Amino acid sequence: MTTLDPTMGMRRSQLYRRHINNNAVFKKTGSDFVVSHYDNGNNQRTELDQARSMAICDLSTLSRTGFKGAGAPIWAESQGVKLPDRANRAIVQPDGCLVAKLSDQELLILSDILAKSHQVTALGEQSTSDHLENDTQTYLLPRGDSHCWLAVTGNQAAEMFSKVCGVDLRSHKFALGNIAQTSVAKTNAIVIRQDLGQTLSYFILCDISATEFLWDCLLDAMQEYAGSPVGIRALEQLVASQ
Amino acid sequence: MKLLTCPLNGSRNIAEFTYGGEYHATPDHISTSARDWAEHVFFHDNAAGMVTEWWCHTASSFWFLAERNTITDEVIRTFKADEIYTERIDFSAAKTESRS
Amino acid sequence: MKNRLPSPYGTLINREKSIQFEFESKTYNGFQGDTIASALIANNQTLLSRSFKYHRPRGALTMAGQDANTMVQLPSNPNALADRELISEGLKVTGQNYSGSLEKDRGEWLGLFSRFLPVGFYYKAFFKPRGIWEKWAPLIRKKAGLGVIDQQLVPDYYDKQYKFFDVVIVGGGPAGMQAAIESAVENCEVLLVDENPSLGGSLNYSRFDVEGTRGKKQLNELLDAINAKPNISVMTNAVCNGWFADNWLPIVTKRRLYKVRAKQTIMCTGSLEQPAIFHNNDLPGVMMSSAAQRLVHLYAVSPGSQAVIVTGNNDGYGTALDLDDAGIKVNAIVDLRDEPIYDDIAKAAVARGIRVETGTTVYAAHSKGANHVAAAEIRKIVSQGICAVQGEVITCDLLCMSVGYTPTYQLACQAGGQLTYDDQSAMFSLQNCPQSLQLAGSVDSLWSLDAVLLESKRAAMIATNALELTNEKVTDRVTENTLSPNHPWPIFAHPKGKEFIDFDEDLTIADIINATGDGYEHIQLVKRYSTCGMGPSQGRHSALAAARLVAAATNRTVAETGVTTARPPFSAEQLGHSAGRSFYPARRSNMHYRHLEAGAEMLQAGAWYRPAFYHFNNNDRQTCINKEVSNVRDNVGLVDVSTLGGIEVRGADASEFLNRFYTFGFLKQPVGKARYALLTNEAGVVIDDGVACRFGNNHYYVTATTGGVDRVYQNMLKWNAQWRLDVDIANVTSAYCGVNIAGPNARAVLQKVCSDVDLSAKAFPYMGVRLGNVGEIPARLIRVGFVGELGYEIHVPQQYGEALWDALMSAGNEHNIQPFGIEAQRILRLEKGHIIIGQDTDAMSNPNEVQMGWAVSRTKPFFVGGRTIAELEKKPSLRCLVGFVIDDSKVPMPQESHLVVDDKQMTGRVTSCNFSPTLGKAIGLAYVPPQKSDAGSVIEIKSLGGVRVLAKVVNLPFFDPDNARQEL
Repeated sequence: MTTLDPTMGMRRSQLYRRHINNNAVFKKTGSDFVVSHYDNGNNQRTELDQARSMAICDLSTLSRTGFKGAGAPIWAESQGVKLPDRANRAIVQPDGCLVAKLSDQELLILSDILAKSHQVTALGEQSTSDHLENDTQTYLLPRGDSHCWLAVTGNQAAEMFSKVCGVDLRSHKFALGNIAQTSVAKTNAIVIRQDLGQTLSYFILCDISATEFLWDCLLDAMQEYAGSPVGIRALEQLVASQ
Repeated sequence: MKLLTCPLNGSRNIAEFTYGGEYHATPDHISTSARDWAEHVFFHDNAAGMVTEWWCHTASSFWFLAERNTITDEVIRTFKADEIYTERIDFSAAKTESRS
Repeated sequence: MKNRLPSPYGTLINREKSIQFEFESKTYNGFQGDTIASALIANNQTLLSRSFKYHRPRGALTMAGQDANTMVQLPSNPNALADRELISEGLKVTGQNYSGSLEKDRGEWLGLFSRFLPVGFYYKAFFKPRGIWEKWAPLIRKKAGLGVIDQQLVPDYYDKQYKFFDVVIVGGGPAGMQAAIESAVENCEVLLVDENPSLGGSLNYSRFDVEGTRGKKQLNELLDAINAKPNISVMTNAVCNGWFADNWLPIVTKRRLYKVRAKQTIMCTGSLEQPAIFHNNDLPGVMMSSAAQRLVHLYAVSPGSQAVIVTGNNDGYGTALDLDDAGIKVNAIVDLRDEPIYDDIAKAAVARGIRVETGTTVYAAHSKGANHVAAAEIRKIVSQGICAVQGEVITCDLLCMSVGYTPTYQLACQAGGQLTYDDQSAMFSLQNCPQSLQLAGSVDSLWSLDAVLLESKRAAMIATNALELTNEKVTDRVTENTLSPNHPWPIFAHPKGKEFIDFDEDLTIADIINATGDGYEHIQLVKRYSTCGMGPSQGRHSALAAARLVAAATNRTVAETGVTTARPPFSAEQLGHSAGRSFYPARRSNMHYRHLEAGAEMLQAGAWYRPAFYHFNNNDRQTCINKEVSNVRDNVGLVDVSTLGGIEVRGADASEFLNRFYTFGFLKQPVGKARYALLTNEAGVVIDDGVACRFGNNHYYVTATTGGVDRVYQNMLKWNAQWRLDVDIANVTSAYCGVNIAGPNARAVLQKVCSDVDLSAKAFPYMGVRLGNVGEIPARLIRVGFVGELGYEIHVPQQYGEALWDALMSAGNEHNIQPFGIEAQRILRLEKGHIIIGQDTDAMSNPNEVQMGWAVSRTKPFFVGGRTIAELEKKPSLRCLVGFVIDDSKVPMPQESHLVVDDKQMTGRVTSCNFSPTLGKAIGLAYVPPQKSDAGSVIEIKSLGGVRVLAKVVNLPFFDPDNARQEL
């Protein structure tokens, strides 16, 4: 078996060197690479345990898209997308992907972490052709490249966030599906509460050029909670253990 | 003022916002006298008391307006720009004589 | 430890755990929980420091971390408070601010010369005679220093954290505890914060009943109630160090600063006991009554063996009972009051047979040559502040002062509360606090425990009602009949002075009076002139006495005189709290590591990392840069332009929007073409530029400068919030990585990896834009000529950046393609006369001044800045940005911001200047007067070292004037 290496692919997470240095074992989703898990020798603690208490995971190569424009919500609904009832809320679609409403004219769509959803790519292509044909006032946003996508998981996550973010993200104040467009470690970011299984979890998307900076800041902040990076396998286990 | 309420995102640290200057109705760019135009561009009221100001929530790039008392530094209310700007603005063609 | 009292005294110490530490190189033993001060006093070491100005011996004053007397030097922490800092095994503590030894300070003679250091000394010394300050400064700095900074210190990790609460209660005494319990209704998150190691405040050490048991009992009841409420969080050893707008509370702990957001705040900050003012009231052994009580109850330390208590209230009698209970002989209670009205506690003290003298004061403390009080001289009070000519000397080694309190008003005043003074009670009280801030306890001028607890409940109810968590009827404010504990005038001048008002700054009665005599009558001026209240304890113990003295000296009331403004921080803050972990965002392109691997020297432009140049074979920086320039001119180079701003403008009004926003006309721009886009603000000043690429009828991709794009994007949104055009604007800067492949061989290289776009000059001309693929990577191709060669900017989705770089570098291998950095790019663009906004423009530059008049449409109905530019064009130009060359290679090359001069007159400045490897001479851009702007004019530049350099004005561009190369 050949070892998978992210440089075999064309799209590379800004963090892939950090993953390699951390003994990452990669897996392929579509044509892109994500960290399955890290090979940490005889470390007793499983990544699943880690993810339940305090962990961070890089999902930047998973698919996501966005639509903006006066007609975007109406067009999305015409495509069968279930819309959140107000801005700064996100809801899960029947096929597993997550639709986040960032304003009255802007949607962000994240594939489910098991990457079973095909809606993301399909919608992207559809929006462009629909718009060209009859001005739907719906414009595609390259969310897969404008923002990184990290998951922060575990029951210590809110406490950790309070060291880097001025919005109260504690679970009883920041409900499932809530969105905060805010500053995290002085970097603009979109924070979405999206629990994985029963585990308190957040997706955080920041300007992709600042990915490494934010990753390092979050790792530093989670040090006192014994947090560490985990691969997507641990997140899949969180979802499965529901 | 350490907090400001964005009409889209709610109450946030003031550090999340960018100040956009005082709100003024823009005078007609053709018929206004040069002096009044200069007044509009270069002078600010800097009033002690109630002012209306532009603010932008930086993380979401959302512009809105705030009514603030500059004496007490209290924000009375914030609201979306479409409360003032309800219709598309168009500009008439420039006439050579009006610019001289 | 000679002075330890038996259990159960010593609630803060653990007698099981002995700790050894050093003070002034001598070894001492204490218990776990001891502060440095309590452990030293337990060992009879009462001298802790030397005073700031006169080097007088000083000891514990408050035992609450509220005075400067206990400041000591720790190895890595100067000015540590010995009555707050705990001992630890092996800790090395030294005194501060002495020469010789703490016991025998050679600086003590300064006290004898105090009349040569009059009040306002610094002002007078600064003022005249001229130059005298330079002579005084070295001596003063040496003598008046405090602790020493350890410059080898390896800093600890300090950081910050947010906390969110519904109600925050500052101060964990009886008032704060009760307020917390009452606030903790359902769904209310409560924080109780206290600077001490444990909750309870005065319940831990003060006397509330004859038996001396109520405090302890009440404390246990309150603790039980708090422990039963899971929605109360408690932080001890935590100082709320300020109040900021919207109830923003910085709470300082050892290594972390908490940024606490409260919806409601209840200040239960208590009160500060005040000193009596008499001769030598600063001797070690003279201390607040509450300090003696703290030593006894908290640390089981006997502060002396024979005590005299000077009092103006019944609390002094309670102290007498406490001392008597602890086996300390009370030789006398000296009561300032003529006819005291006793409460039960006072009656009990009298009943024990303790000697009481009424209408009497301590007139002076005597040390008898030692560094500690040895006796108190008491005298009858004749009238306010005046004593009988003779008195009696009573032996004592402890002199307790109990003459009144001030509310700990600092935080409440920062919140907008105002202090008033009531002549009847001789006390400051707080009023007009904001609605979201309540007061309770002694800070609210309540003294009996019952009244305090009742008022705390009321304050909590107001807070929870305001939060709409309760809806209770709020009762009237509690009134109490207790006598004021404040004596109106515990101030007794002495012919020999040394009656200290301000212990930090060594200020006496005469200093304050003289300040008013020198004409500084306003309390704010008295403070600045005399330095009263400017020391580490910030007037905690001097403000009341200073206000009384200034009021009397200026025939005003104390209320009129007032106190100086209380500003944050409440107590001294370690630099680590502000200098600790900070966030400096860094942005990297997807190709970042390829640059490092190729030997790039990176520089930071804003938050972005960009390659400045690439090291090559140990060549020096300039050689490497010049080589990169030549490779672009002669061959082909590759530069990372990912940092360049990118904004999508889409919709039916896309071209109308750009037509209004930028100076050029865009309505007729063909699809597939790029057009230069110059941006001015309403003042007609050039603020950004880029190219607008029309990819579709309703789709523009507009570039902007690296540093300007965020502002450009915000401006676009702000204007369209007003215009309401049918257009969508999206900042996609980071979503695209980009490179510019430039040089005569650029086409040959690109052709190898880009087969779906016809790259021929005819099919894809200069300023054309195309969509295509580079390898398998979807790309936007733009033919622009910033560096003036055949070139293509290639923009691809960010995560493809590294793969794009690899594809082009490998395709260019046979042509020996080389990366180039922004230093080379700057030279290349300068050779072409392209300006950089922000470098070659300033906050006044209009388009015509910078030879950009061609990029301004004068026929369209409107654009931002248009009217102003039209007005400016009616007036003669004041300056022009021109190109210049320097033919003499031996003169020092000018640099940015060097002045253009005309004889002695400054007439302009250089904005860019560099050696052009292509032309073999220095070239640059400079603002010059219009009469010097024609080609052939000679200008004079004041270059490095003031050398005047002659330069010749030339037409732009310097290189390839017909722009033939970029259009190949």
